[in-house]
Amino acid sequence: MDKGLLAYLIIPLFAAVVIPFAARNRPRLADVLANVTLLAGLANLAWLALRPSMIAGGFADIPGDGFSLLLVAAIYLVALCVTFFSAWFIEEGLPNRQAYYSLILVSVAAMTGVVTTSDFFTLYVFVEVLAVTSFALITTDESAGGIEGALKYFFLTFPASALIIVGLSILMMTLGSLSYENLRIFMSSDIPSGPVTFAAALMLLGFVIKSGVVPFHAWTPDAYQGAYAPVSAHLAGIVTKISGVYAIVKIATLLRFFDGRATAVSEMLMFLGLLSIVVGALAALKQTSFKRMLAFSSISQVGYIVLAAGLGTPLAIMGAVFHLFNHATFKTVLFLNSASLEKAAGTTDMDKLGGMEHPMPWTSWTSVIALLSTAGVPPLSGFWSKLLIILALWESGLRTYAVVALLFSIVTLAYFMIMQRKVFFGRKSAAAESASEVSAPLLAPAVLMSAVIVAVGLLFPYFYTYVRVVAERIIL
Amino acid sequence: MNSFAMEWYLITLIMFTGFYCMLVSRSIVRQLVGLEIVSKAAMLALISAGALANNLIYAQALLITMIVIEVVVVAAGLALLVKNFRLHGAADIWKLDSLKG
Amino acid sequence: MNDYRLILFLLAALFSVWAVMARRLLTSAIMLALVSVTVSLIFFDYGAPWAGVFELSVCAGLITVLFVGAVSLIRAADEQNPENRSRFHALPLVLAAFAIASWYYLPAFFAELSAWARPGTGGGTIGLALWDMRRPDLLGQILMLAAGVFVIKSVFPRRNEK
Repeated sequence: MDKGLLAYLIIPLFAAVVIPFAARNRPRLADVLANVTLLAGLANLAWLALRPSMIAGGFADIPGDGFSLLLVAAIYLVALCVTFFSAWFIEEGLPNRQAYYSLILVSVAAMTGVVTTSDFFTLYVFVEVLAVTSFALITTDESAGGIEGALKYFFLTFPASALIIVGLSILMMTLGSLSYENLRIFMSSDIPSGPVTFAAALMLLGFVIKSGVVPFHAWTPDAYQGAYAPVSAHLAGIVTKISGVYAIVKIATLLRFFDGRATAVSEMLMFLGLLSIVVGALAALKQTSFKRMLAFSSISQVGYIVLAAGLGTPLAIMGAVFHLFNHATFKTVLFLNSASLEKAAGTTDMDKLGGMEHPMPWTSWTSVIALLSTAGVPPLSGFWSKLLIILALWESGLRTYAVVALLFSIVTLAYFMIMQRKVFFGRKSAAAESASEVSAPLLAPAVLMSAVIVAVGLLFPYFYTYVRVVAERIIL
Repeated sequence: MNSFAMEWYLITLIMFTGFYCMLVSRSIVRQLVGLEIVSKAAMLALISAGALANNLIYAQALLITMIVIEVVVVAAGLALLVKNFRLHGAADIWKLDSLKG
Repeated sequence: MNDYRLILFLLAALFSVWAVMARRLLTSAIMLALVSVTVSLIFFDYGAPWAGVFELSVCAGLITVLFVGAVSLIRAADEQNPENRSRFHALPLVLAAFAIASWYYLPAFFAELSAWARPGTGGGTIGLALWDMRRPDLLGQILMLAAGVFVIKSVFPRRNEK
């Protein structure tokens, strides 16, 4: 376990336990406590990683495995946006306000545990904790849609855990231990690796189901659409990535796909990634609800990450890690904005929304930035991460995959342009007439995240150095 | 025949039963029963593998954590089931169709 | 494999099939408890007493109590909507078909897998294993229990006005 980052796990847990006692008579204190904890963690991380001396040294002094640090930063950033947004979004009468904040803090602690552990079983334990907290968070507002989404999530995630356990037991039997290091050493040596690869493939299958990759994506649209609004942002922004995609990337690097080992697994993973890109993009075209469209777009983007992880070359891993971080930022903005839209205009049906730019300029422009970045428009951050992935595919000789990935990126871009035109810049519809911009605190997280998207896009050289350090450390 | 192979074959059959139950049921409680059966089969697999590798102490340490996790998961599932029943008076998963599109 | 363990495995399979096919949910819950007891006995036979004890007290005890409680709470809804039983009655046939089909290649596959097993050390006590080797898991367990408490608080909040 990465001891340096252990504090980022303990402190949210501590705060989560304190909240029910401290906020018994003053409900608002729960909001304050949650936000302050996350803000403090984020400030500490920024000091760790973004000191001028660190940047000047080319990020060589980053403690441990830079991947964990990057992901903990993403976790805290997204969670802070969600809690800040919730503080102003939750209605006064919601009875389980404290439990909501406690659950978010416990899920942050669990996610930190997931990305800092160095053992497969501990990874499983923390992923289960994350699943349980997400499951309860989805139903915070007791709507019928929330309960349906939560049940579908429940009955798809937990059987996947059984598959992971079977994979773990075979791994324990054939490898002797369950730590990452042993797997890495084993795969670099010349011992024939059939059973170990089989065990890792079983675990990969379990994590693939958990991340909502096609054909196991049935729960994603319902869960995102039915969940309580800030929780959709939390789920789509960071939870599904940490609970599924992180493990896929980690196992992909440990199995050494780039060395030519485990080619069957690698190809299967790439195929599933490509399938997700295609199905997600095509299904998003047909949706009328904004949230459901975003859910399918998420499936498509996760497909890019899985495709790059399946390829496994250093450049592809860089692209995957970068896209993971970027996607967290885009989707947080988009889902928080859809919550704002719903609050102001009363609907998320895209047929009924039109010309929202007039009453809600800030929401519209931040959404536009996030949508363009998802589609991969320069100079925003999404362009660079997609470019890395497509370049990695082209370089490895997989021309068809690269062309298809690029093609669907263009399809997504075209669709988003049409959709933006209608929803944000077209004629004002009836819903737009009665809407007004939401209050400033609700906009602040979206604006912050959009600023991050633009900054990462413009400051790409620094980011590239960081991501390259990460890729070198986790591959070699 | 190899005892490990026979055990795992039976474990696969039990897991198949559990998965079948989850796929076919309409009632949420029954699906939860199916999930429990699948979990038990996974635990049996873990101990069987540990016994073959003569690593039972380690396997048991893993199993204890797994059981703790399983209890909380079942409790969470049942809590949501009871809440759904109280709010909407139904425990039937195919009747939920409020999300469309 | 000795006969005792084989009988226990077959019993576990039988009870699980019965649990799936039972008409009343209460019967399903009781059968699930019996599956847990059988699995616990299997653990004892392997020489894994800690696993057996935990399984017996927690799964056969606690989870059964939870299930029976939940089943009695939703009894009214369950009786109004009887399920289509034919798919459940098909289970023995489907299971038999699967068993026969997989008899030809699954045991051979598992036998091959077992040949790759790496013998471990196996020493130490359970306390040592948990505290020394798997300490992060204990942190995970604490987190899980905290999550469970907050889930229950979130799903059943104390309301000030009804």
